[in-house]
Amino acid sequence: MITFENVTKIYPPNIKALNNLSLFIGPGEFVSIVGQSGTGKTTMVKALIGEERISQGKIILGDWDITHIKQREIPYLRRQIGVVFQDFKLLPKKTLFENVSFAMQVCGHVPSQIKAIVPQVFKLVGLEHKMHRYPSEVSGGEQQRVVIARSLVHRPKILLADEPTGNLDSINAADIISLLERINRLGTTIILVTHNKEVVNSLRRRVITIDGGRVISDQKKGKYLL
Amino acid sequence: MVILSFIRIVKFAFQDFFRNFWLSLITITILILSLFSINFLIIVGVVSQAAIASVESKIDLSLYLATDANEEDIGVLKNELTLLPEVTGVEYISKAQALEAFQFKHKDDSEIIESLRELGNNPLNPSLVVSARKLPDYEKVIASLDNLSKNNIIESRDFDDHKSLLTSMQNITYKAQQVAILISIIFGAITILVVFNAIRIAIYTHQKEIRIMKLVGASNWFIRAPFLAEAILYAFGGVLGIILIFYPFVHLLQPYLGAFFEAGNLQLVGYFQDNFIKIFGIQFLIAAIINIVASLLAVGKYLKV
Ligand SMILES: Nc1ncnc2c1ncn2[C@@H]1O[C@H](COP(=O)(O)OP(=O)(O)O)[C@@H](O)[C@H]1O
Ligand SMILES: [Mg+2]
Repeated sequence: MITFENVTKIYPPNIKALNNLSLFIGPGEFVSIVGQSGTGKTTMVKALIGEERISQGKIILGDWDITHIKQREIPYLRRQIGVVFQDFKLLPKKTLFENVSFAMQVCGHVPSQIKAIVPQVFKLVGLEHKMHRYPSEVSGGEQQRVVIARSLVHRPKILLADEPTGNLDSINAADIISLLERINRLGTTIILVTHNKEVVNSLRRRVITIDGGRVISDQKKGKYLL
Repeated sequence: MVILSFIRIVKFAFQDFFRNFWLSLITITILILSLFSINFLIIVGVVSQAAIASVESKIDLSLYLATDANEEDIGVLKNELTLLPEVTGVEYISKAQALEAFQFKHKDDSEIIESLRELGNNPLNPSLVVSARKLPDYEKVIASLDNLSKNNIIESRDFDDHKSLLTSMQNITYKAQQVAILISIIFGAITILVVFNAIRIAIYTHQKEIRIMKLVGASNWFIRAPFLAEAILYAFGGVLGIILIFYPFVHLLQPYLGAFFEAGNLQLVGYFQDNFIKIFGIQFLIAAIINIVASLLAVGKYLKV
C-alpha cells in the first residue's frame, strides 16, 4: 500500500535526511517507526503527505505515484491520510466540537454530514460527553484524542502519528496507543513514529528502526532496538 | 456546496476584517484617499468643461453694416446667414438700438455723451450678431461670407474668439489633470502596499488555521479565497466611504465654483448623481482589481499551500 523506493532527501545546503530508504507497508498494518532524534522520521512522514519533495527515489501510495504530485492534487492526498503532528494543535478559541467540524467545513462538507460524523468520531475517541468544552478545559491526553478525532473525519485509509505521545505521561500515552489500536482494528493502517520504548515494546507489532536516514532493522514483532 | 463554501469564505473574511479592525480601518482610509484623488480628477474635468463651454458661449461674430443700408437688404442678408448650416442664431441690432446700448454703456462718461449730442445725428452702424456652436464653425461662417448676395452692405466685422483665454484655460486644466493623475498613481501604489501588508498580517494571524486547513486537505482555492474576499471587502468599504464623504464635499464645493459660472452651467452634484453607477461602479471595479492584485501578491509570497 505504501512503498518507499530508494528515497533520498537532501535539505539545502547539504543535509541528507533520508538516505536511499526503501520500505513497504501493507494495508491494515500497525507499524512503529523508531529511531533517534534527527534520523529522518519526520521527513519521511512529510514526504508521504506531499509537504516535502524528495530528491531521489519514488513514493507510491496504492497505485498512485506521488513522487511528483501536483500542487492541486495534494488536498486529495491529504484527505486519504490522517495526520497527528506535534505542531498540529487545536485552535484554542474553538470548542472541541468546532475544532473537528472546522476540518470538515474547510473541505466543503455540508452541515448535515458534519452533524452526523463529528459525534461519531468523538464517540470513537471516547469524548462525546466533552465535545462542547474548550481545549483549555480538558487534559493534554484528551486534547490529543481530539486531534486524532479530527484526523479521522475523512475516514482516511492511513493514519500517520508523529510522536503523538510526546508530551504525555505514561498513563495518557497508553490511552492514546490503545486508541490507535482500536482505530487499526477498524481497518485503518497506522504508522506510529515514536521514541517511546515502553510503548513500542508493549505493542508487539512491526517495528522499523531508522538511523542516518535509512532502515537498519525491520522486525515483524519487534522491540525497541536502540 | 459551492454556495456553502462561498458563505464560509465571506464569513471568514468578515471575521478577519473585524479581528484586525484598526488595520482594516487604516487600509480603507488609504483607499478612500486614493479614490478621493480620482474623484477630484473627475471634478477638475467637469469644472473645466463647464468653464470652457461658458467661454465658448460668449464667442460671437458681429457684422457691422453700412449706415445707409436699407432694411430690405439687411433682411435678405439675415435670412441668408440663418440658412448657413453652422449658424445657430442671427440677431439684428438697428442703428437706434446700437445707440441706445452705446449710451447705456457710457452713461457715466459725460464727455462721450456730450460729444455724441454735439454730433447731432446717430453715427453708429447697424449690425448683425451671428452665433454658432463651436470655434471652427465661426471660421466656416466667415469663409462663406463672400458667397452671400448682399455681402456688399457688410462694412466690417468683429470676431473675438477668446482664443488666448481658451488656450490658457486648457493649459490650466491640463496641468491640474496631470497633478491629479500623478497623485492618483501615488495613492494607487500606496494602496497596493497597504493592502499587501494587511493581507500579509491577516495570513500571519491565521497561520494556525491555514496549517490545519492544509493538513486536513482543504483545497488550495478555499485556503486562499478568504484573503481575496477580504481584499474585495476593503474595496467595497473604500467605495462606500468615498460615497459618504464625497457627496457632502461636492455639496460644499458647488456654491463656490457655481459663483464663477452663469446659473445652471455647472451641475457638479447632478453630474455625480446622473453618473452614479458609472462613476462609483467603475471605481469599485478598479479598487477591487488593485486590491485583488495586492492580495494575490501577498498570498503568493506568504501563503504556501
Ligand atoms: N526544513 C529543514 N531544513 C533543513 N534541515 C532539516 C529540515 N527539517 C529537518 N532537517 C534535518 O534533517 C534531519 C532529519 O530531521 P527529521 O526528519 O526531523 O528527524 P526526526 O524526525 O527523526 O527527528 C535532521 O538533521 C534535521 O536537522
Ligand atoms: Mg521528528
